[in-house]
Amino acid sequence: MIASGTKNFTSLFSRYKVLSLLFVIAVIWLLFGWLTDGFFLSPRNFSNLLRQMAITGMLASAMVFVIISGEIDLSVGSLLGLLGGVAAILDVRYGVPVVANFLVVILLGLAAGLFNGWWVAFRGVPSFIVGLAGLMAYRGVLLGVTDGATIAPVSPGFVIIGQAYLPLLVGDILAGLAFLLIAFLILRSRQKRQQYNLDVPPLWQEVAKLVAIGIVIAGIVITLDDYRGIPIPVLVMMIILGVFTLLAQRTVFGRRIYAVGSNLEATRLSGVNVRMVKLMIFGLVGLMCAFAGLTTTARLAAGSPSAGNLGELDAIASCIIGGTSMRGGSGTVYGALIGALIMASLDNGMSMLGVETFWQMIVKGSILLLAVWVDIATSAKS
Amino acid sequence: MSDYLLEMKGIVKEFSGVKALDGIDLKVHPGEVVGLCGENGAGKSTMMKVLSAVYPYGTWDGEILWEGKPLQAASIRETEDAGIVIIHQELMLVPELSVAENIFLGREITNGGFLDYEAMNAEAARLMAELKMSHVNVAMPVSHYSGGVLQLIEIAKALGKNAKLLILDEPSSALSQTETEILLDLIRGLKHRNVACVYISHKLEEIEAIADTVTVIRDGQFIGSAPMSELTIDKIINMMVGRELTEKYPHEEHTIGDVIFEVRHINCYDPLNPQMKKVDDVSFQVRAGEILGIAGLVGAGRTEMASAIFGYYKGPHSLEVYLNGEQISVKDPEAAVKHGICMVPEDRKRHGIVPLLGVGQNITMAVLPRFTQGGLINEAAEFATIRGEIDRMGIKTASPVLAIASLSGGNQQKAVVSKMLLANPRVLILDEPTRGVDVGAKYEIYKLIYELAKQGIAIIMISSEMPEVLGISDRVLVIGEGQLRGDFVNDGTLTQEKILTAALTRRQMAA
Repeated sequence: MIASGTKNFTSLFSRYKVLSLLFVIAVIWLLFGWLTDGFFLSPRNFSNLLRQMAITGMLASAMVFVIISGEIDLSVGSLLGLLGGVAAILDVRYGVPVVANFLVVILLGLAAGLFNGWWVAFRGVPSFIVGLAGLMAYRGVLLGVTDGATIAPVSPGFVIIGQAYLPLLVGDILAGLAFLLIAFLILRSRQKRQQYNLDVPPLWQEVAKLVAIGIVIAGIVITLDDYRGIPIPVLVMMIILGVFTLLAQRTVFGRRIYAVGSNLEATRLSGVNVRMVKLMIFGLVGLMCAFAGLTTTARLAAGSPSAGNLGELDAIASCIIGGTSMRGGSGTVYGALIGALIMASLDNGMSMLGVETFWQMIVKGSILLLAVWVDIATSAKS
Repeated sequence: MSDYLLEMKGIVKEFSGVKALDGIDLKVHPGEVVGLCGENGAGKSTMMKVLSAVYPYGTWDGEILWEGKPLQAASIRETEDAGIVIIHQELMLVPELSVAENIFLGREITNGGFLDYEAMNAEAARLMAELKMSHVNVAMPVSHYSGGVLQLIEIAKALGKNAKLLILDEPSSALSQTETEILLDLIRGLKHRNVACVYISHKLEEIEAIADTVTVIRDGQFIGSAPMSELTIDKIINMMVGRELTEKYPHEEHTIGDVIFEVRHINCYDPLNPQMKKVDDVSFQVRAGEILGIAGLVGAGRTEMASAIFGYYKGPHSLEVYLNGEQISVKDPEAAVKHGICMVPEDRKRHGIVPLLGVGQNITMAVLPRFTQGGLINEAAEFATIRGEIDRMGIKTASPVLAIASLSGGNQQKAVVSKMLLANPRVLILDEPTRGVDVGAKYEIYKLIYELAKQGIAIIMISSEMPEVLGISDRVLVIGEGQLRGDFVNDGTLTQEKILTAALTRRQMAA
């Protein structure tokens, strides 16, 4: 009995990789909580932590698709900086209305992403090179248009998306709706599977899963409400998580991202337009750079020429820690976000402890290496 | 002391509780050729992976005696050092390296720390000459060659390792008849040098020609072992499938309609060497419901021709394609599938399956947009189709969501065929459809081909197995050195000799 119990336990872990990631988060949080006399675990810091990870999270949500498809994009940090800078210039220098400003920047981001994707998909330039070129060139453009100076102050209407919080009641209602939607989707897919005589996990497992999700959502919302409510950037990130998860699991485009990453040639020979798939992935990345850029500028209330520096590396590391395979073909959006949360927790906790920046970098690098090694070592056994 | 070179006794290998091998014995004398037969999924490849320590000692039960002593190897390196060399079904060559570099990969000849290319090239050339492949330039990258030549390079690589026991896993699946003859001759030569050989093949004619002893396994169990002199092909088939297989080729009446598909003036040039023509001005027509066999030696340009028609030939090429009398442009596979021209590629692993996706997701890949509702995939409808296809094709899989890579070759092939059938083809190109597929599954694929012909689909079947071409086709085209060298109606008078003669006879240039 005991033996089979532990076996079930380990198989549960290997099946739901997310559990082991949550376990890692729990360890990190308890450790920092203990070291900071509980301050790390205060609602205020939790709110901070989520706001810190929001920008990396937005980038990682799209980066995960790039990596699943077997490519890489190194330009996202610079593109984020450029788009945030353009938004600041339009706002501060030209007084463009906020909504129009956002629309322009989002379209610009999409265009830049598609431009990158065009080089990769239709001109056959390796994505590593296209990204590297973008990393340098987009940053160069940003330095050029800002003359290397900070653009401030950004108008109050703009700043909302980076700094404001949802009214408590609105946040609670949204969280409730999100939970109901998830419950509906899970139970409906279960019912559909039963209808076609497909295997379904035991009901208690699904209910346990739902209860766990409910507790997590409630826990997050209650803790955030305890401070000032759900921060707007966190809301945006959660919506992206939902939409992108649906995109990955339930759309033709999503399925093809995985197919392209697993075997490009076979996918092409099935009559799939693989170039279009790649182009669209890079388009999505551009879109997310726009969101992240706008959020950054709003958060700083200024356009900074160094915004988004090394952002691409944080995004890639988040995906990898979150279980995305560098070989392509497998990975999840929520995994990437949990990866981002792990990175943000390390940053936040160590800063709180006054650990010097160089140590922070060394620790983060080591964690990345360790995470991938653990993944390889455990998957080789099975 | 036993006089066996190798004795495997009671080998048991489990994969997560499922017994892939359940107490199998295999005994080989020095210099003996043992034919190992069994349907796909019977456990032949697993058995050889146990022997060569791909699965190291300790991951399986049973005993292996090598030259009378227990062999407990932890890695392939150790078994190779002992003299056991395996040539896998899937080739293990590095395309960018030269033929000689591949042959000496891992045991390069050096001179003062530097690679001694002269010595390696000379030795490689000698080995290739032994294989009657002296036309191969050993300094050229392997990617320059294809099909049968690669297999022989792999064999040269094994010979260079001074093997005492050579394991050949489906060595002839990519070889033409002539190349297979060379291979069989070579094994006979090795016998005289006291090199033993385990020969795994679905082609029982080859087993009959070469094996001294035949061992048959089925569903991971040892069925029997007997000298070839006491066996016949029919007896072996019986042991393999456990039932009488009345005929190898089903014949079913089907009506042949009008010409629906025509290609004119296919010309393909070598991607690396644009002066070299791979396909030389080939034109042909296919009728609705007609099964057109395309025969020829490996390397004759048939696969290049098929890829040009399907829009994915990599090098310079030109052709005209007509569907129902109208010229169409097939610039890529996407356009081809849209026009109802579908293809089941030769190289299943590289071009057929998407390994990490489930069996079901592979099957619906070409037609996925069909299942969308409001932008989302209707998974219930998709599953319904998948279940139907799995039943119809008899694909053996534990679950439709199981990654396709974990299925046997025959079942993967059925899934790939199913994928293309869902796209409602009017013309179906099958490139070596039964390559690496066992006797039982072959029969099912043939029946399916007739079924499709009855529905009026024009079938173009490329095959290097002449009995198959003769057994199935209504008409046979013969390709030799990139040229169309014969167009025969298969009315019962066509023989293998006629096809081979046509393939080898240079066309008289019209004045």
